[in-house]
Amino acid sequence: MTRLPLQPGEVIDRSAPLNFTWNGDQISAFTGDTIASAIMANGNRIFARSMKYHRPRGLLTADFWDPNSFVQVGDDPNVRSAHRLAEAGMEVTAQNVWPSLDYDVKAANGVVGKFLTAGFYYKTFMKPAKLWPAYEKVLAQFAPGGKVDLNTPHMYHDKRYAHPDVLVAGGGPAGMAAAIAAAEAGAQVMLVEHEHLLGGSLLWGTEADRAVAAELVAACEAADNIEILLNSTVTGRYEDNWCAIAQRSHPIAVERLIKARAKMLVVAPGLIERPYVFAGNDKPGVMLSGAVRRLINLYAVKPGQKAVVFTANAAGDRAAEDLTRAGIDVVRVVDARNGGNIVAAKGGAKSVESVELGDGSTVEADLLVTAIGWTAPTSLLNLAGDRPAYDPVAARFFSSQLPDNILVAGGLAGDGTTDQLIAHARDTGELAARRAVVIAQTLQRLTARAVNVDGDIAPMPADDRTTLRRDPHPELHRSTTHGLVDYSEDVSSKDLFSAAKEGYDSVELIKRFTTATMGPSQGKLETVNTVAVLAEARGETIAEVGTTVWRPPYAPITLGALGGRIFEPVRVSSIQPWHEANRATPILAGQWVRPEHYGDPAGEVRNVRENVGIIDVTPLGKLDLRGRDVPKLLSMLYTNKWMQLPIGSVRYGVMCAEDGVVMDDGVTAHIAEDHYMMTTTSSGAAGVWEWAENWLQTEHPDWEVHITPVTTGFTSINVAGPKSRELVARLTDIDLDPETFKYMQVRTGSVAGVDNCFMWRIGFTGELSYELHVPSGYGLHVWETLLDQGADLGIKAFGLEAQRIMRLEKGHFIVGQDTDGLTKMPSVGMNGLIKLDKDDFAGKAELAISLEQTNLPKVVAIQTTDPTIVPEEACQIVRAGTNEIIGRITSSRMSPTLGRSICLGQVLPEAADAGSNLTVVMTTGERITAKVMEHHAHFDPEGERLRV
Amino acid sequence: MSEFASSVVKTYNETASSSLTLSDLSATTKAIVRAGQGTDAAAGLGAPFGTSRVVDGTLVVGVRPTEWVVLGPAEAVWAFTDAIDNTGHVSKIDFTHSRALFRLTGEDAPKVMEKICSIDWADAMMPDSAVVSASVAKVSCDIIRNDVDGTRSYFIMSDRSSAQYLFDAILDAGEEFKLGVTRA
Repeated sequence: MTRLPLQPGEVIDRSAPLNFTWNGDQISAFTGDTIASAIMANGNRIFARSMKYHRPRGLLTADFWDPNSFVQVGDDPNVRSAHRLAEAGMEVTAQNVWPSLDYDVKAANGVVGKFLTAGFYYKTFMKPAKLWPAYEKVLAQFAPGGKVDLNTPHMYHDKRYAHPDVLVAGGGPAGMAAAIAAAEAGAQVMLVEHEHLLGGSLLWGTEADRAVAAELVAACEAADNIEILLNSTVTGRYEDNWCAIAQRSHPIAVERLIKARAKMLVVAPGLIERPYVFAGNDKPGVMLSGAVRRLINLYAVKPGQKAVVFTANAAGDRAAEDLTRAGIDVVRVVDARNGGNIVAAKGGAKSVESVELGDGSTVEADLLVTAIGWTAPTSLLNLAGDRPAYDPVAARFFSSQLPDNILVAGGLAGDGTTDQLIAHARDTGELAARRAVVIAQTLQRLTARAVNVDGDIAPMPADDRTTLRRDPHPELHRSTTHGLVDYSEDVSSKDLFSAAKEGYDSVELIKRFTTATMGPSQGKLETVNTVAVLAEARGETIAEVGTTVWRPPYAPITLGALGGRIFEPVRVSSIQPWHEANRATPILAGQWVRPEHYGDPAGEVRNVRENVGIIDVTPLGKLDLRGRDVPKLLSMLYTNKWMQLPIGSVRYGVMCAEDGVVMDDGVTAHIAEDHYMMTTTSSGAAGVWEWAENWLQTEHPDWEVHITPVTTGFTSINVAGPKSRELVARLTDIDLDPETFKYMQVRTGSVAGVDNCFMWRIGFTGELSYELHVPSGYGLHVWETLLDQGADLGIKAFGLEAQRIMRLEKGHFIVGQDTDGLTKMPSVGMNGLIKLDKDDFAGKAELAISLEQTNLPKVVAIQTTDPTIVPEEACQIVRAGTNEIIGRITSSRMSPTLGRSICLGQVLPEAADAGSNLTVVMTTGERITAKVMEHHAHFDPEGERLRV
Repeated sequence: MSEFASSVVKTYNETASSSLTLSDLSATTKAIVRAGQGTDAAAGLGAPFGTSRVVDGTLVVGVRPTEWVVLGPAEAVWAFTDAIDNTGHVSKIDFTHSRALFRLTGEDAPKVMEKICSIDWADAMMPDSAVVSASVAKVSCDIIRNDVDGTRSYFIMSDRSSAQYLFDAILDAGEEFKLGVTRA
């Protein structure tokens, strides 16, 4: 055990012990431990193997960004063990090692490492291309990361929208101070911290530091208008301060993605300590100063026995002090400010044993601590269009130009004492609050429903903060030896030099070629060193080389969080409870759940042909049209004439786009003076509404027409079959006498005691039928009354499949199935409905040309020679004896009425004449023969049954 | 005639004691009135786009610049709409059966809405009586803030066909806030 006695700032609760397993071994931990701190406290220093060479890896940063400590927790892969808190019963294992973490066979890669240089995969496995499948199988065995269990149940991932006045990214001293000041100025503040506690670096600082942190934390927690999100990360900033936040601390959801539209964004993530590049810098026992200070002060873990500290700043000095206080033998402090350097960490693969110093001496140590400088995590600023500039004196990047709705605080803004940084952050928060007011008022003025803003809105407050100073810091990136630059991707400085020599000397190219900065740390530890090494290779400065473009996410985010809650709306009619109770087989048509059949679609067809059936056709699009200019609109939308449609009549129309392509069809009824009801196809309802409104609003705003979609306001029931009149007559006060209520007419009245219904006589099934449209609140009542009253007539419900069969028997085409995106109206055999003598209508010009064309395909009825063969829809029709495609089957079914196969198809005009013989290629490749029929209708072509 | 049947057909355990409640008011009479801006009809309706007002026992909701929904008991709704000036091009349509209507009430109502709708629910942007059209759990809805005795309350009006799905989606979003179902 390497657990230290009680530390003054420790965050572990020694009164709450817990146990979990690490590679099968029991680990004793305390509540508050991270997985990694607990494993280390139990005497383990190796957490993982590196991606390419499978070299043993120990903790480097001991925080969220640690690249060396990804583990598998149960079925959860790629868990950051230096961040995830330990929980009782966890089963934690190392990833991608075989047979064990200690003895990993794949470490043999290290033996041939000199051949696995950057670009090795690109160069080696490109040729011969035919061997790629074999390469892929082998390479997959070396893929890094944990194992995904495909049987893992779907967990609850939540989503939330937020509109804070001020969003503060970072809960260190600067972030907290900014949040407090903004809140004091009246702003609603969201404070986001990616660690589990507020406080940042103050938490592992001195007693005075912790006191300051405690005071700031208390103020944040006491403020009603500060929402604190711990263990959460602002992962991206987009237009207008639309910020994505991954919240990992939600009480119910595993993760929650917050989409925050912040009026002001304050970026205060602190600085990230940067590793030093030297030989052996990835050996377990090489740690950054922040890592050892966290381990000692927060988790009371002793990181080693004998330490060398290489320091270039106060953080390194304090690390040496903490180590000494914790009883670790600090055998040497090498001060870079005085010209000191380290050359190599030496020893076995599993631990540092000695450190070679710049003066040529070697010191025995099992711990090498480096503190050589900082990376400014400017990602969120870059995402706002900023191009941070490198300051060689301070040895880090600073923002150069930010939009008004983003401010920077803390180490990202400059240097100073804690008090100075807090004061600057308070000014930042206060300025953010003032700017948020201006932005809020502007938004209110732009939003009709918002509270009115009186008077002029003040101009955006100027940035009147005192600028923080920039302290000089040695520029330290690489020693005189080569070492790792990217721990996640196993990319060394030597690889970067080689890549630059090969010509990949642009920072963007070298990133992609070597994959440096592309690992899970997202460049936080690697980017600056990559740039520095490239600058060295090119003989240029860091500023001249520039940086790569930072893109979201700031930190990796799970697919579950991105997926969020699964919203999949479905639509059902008022009759859905009956369909479910009567075991209808559902089919999803768009968002609509519809009954496909009730067990026997062929029987349902026969019953309609012989008795009476009812089908729920509620999804049929319905548009209520009112106004004196409705006929003009209808004339514009449809190809046929509408100016003289009498009240009480229904007319069929085909709607074409401007290019003459069929876009929808349906019937429209003239119900009363200046009142019409249009129906559309079920799938076309929304599109037709938009199309009609487009004509009204852009071309004819002078027309008096109100279009109101009422698709679901009416439950639509088609009553079809020779006994339909007898049945409907039992329920309605409408006169059904065929002499007065004829085919293609509409009437209004009551049905089953329900007022304000309308019904019309149309015939999609080819039978005498009445389509009832009843107010939906009573739809189920009317449906059940029909079934009750029609029992002696042999009534049965029928589903979509039976309807499709019957319409095919009648030869009615379905837009989108028998037509496609190129099918113009002359192809569907309805030229009589194209009225070129009208003043204008959508598609007129194109249709005038199309009517003269002789090469358009035709929709025709087709019957196979063998009546038992039903070709699948979309089977190709070819010229006999060739593979030349001349058409396709668009609809096909076995007709229960005719006892044979029937089809519709599109064929070229040369094969469209009645009696033409066709060759149909089945999906099996077999060729069958078929014939073009005289009429579209396979059954009752004269329509005698529906006009009775 | 049989009773109006809501499209929320599932049975829920009612929790009248909850401080955050969802109720199904789909049977409420709803009328759409369409009229041009600046007309006498628009003046009589008196609720400009994005606002609502209580008048003569109804709630008049300006859902679109030239479209209003009038909610309330049938007699009150039809009495009010009948009285609207018909000069010019004015349409009045019974919309009761087209739309589902829910009421979400409680101080945590904005927190529930934050999970399923991207609108800013702050007082300044969505004050009492404000109206907004937005996607709620991917369903197009009109939302009306209509506080009850100083307690936050939203009417949520959606297409009838998606009502059951939407009701369940709101309940799911409200689970962490102990959202309960109450009878209308």
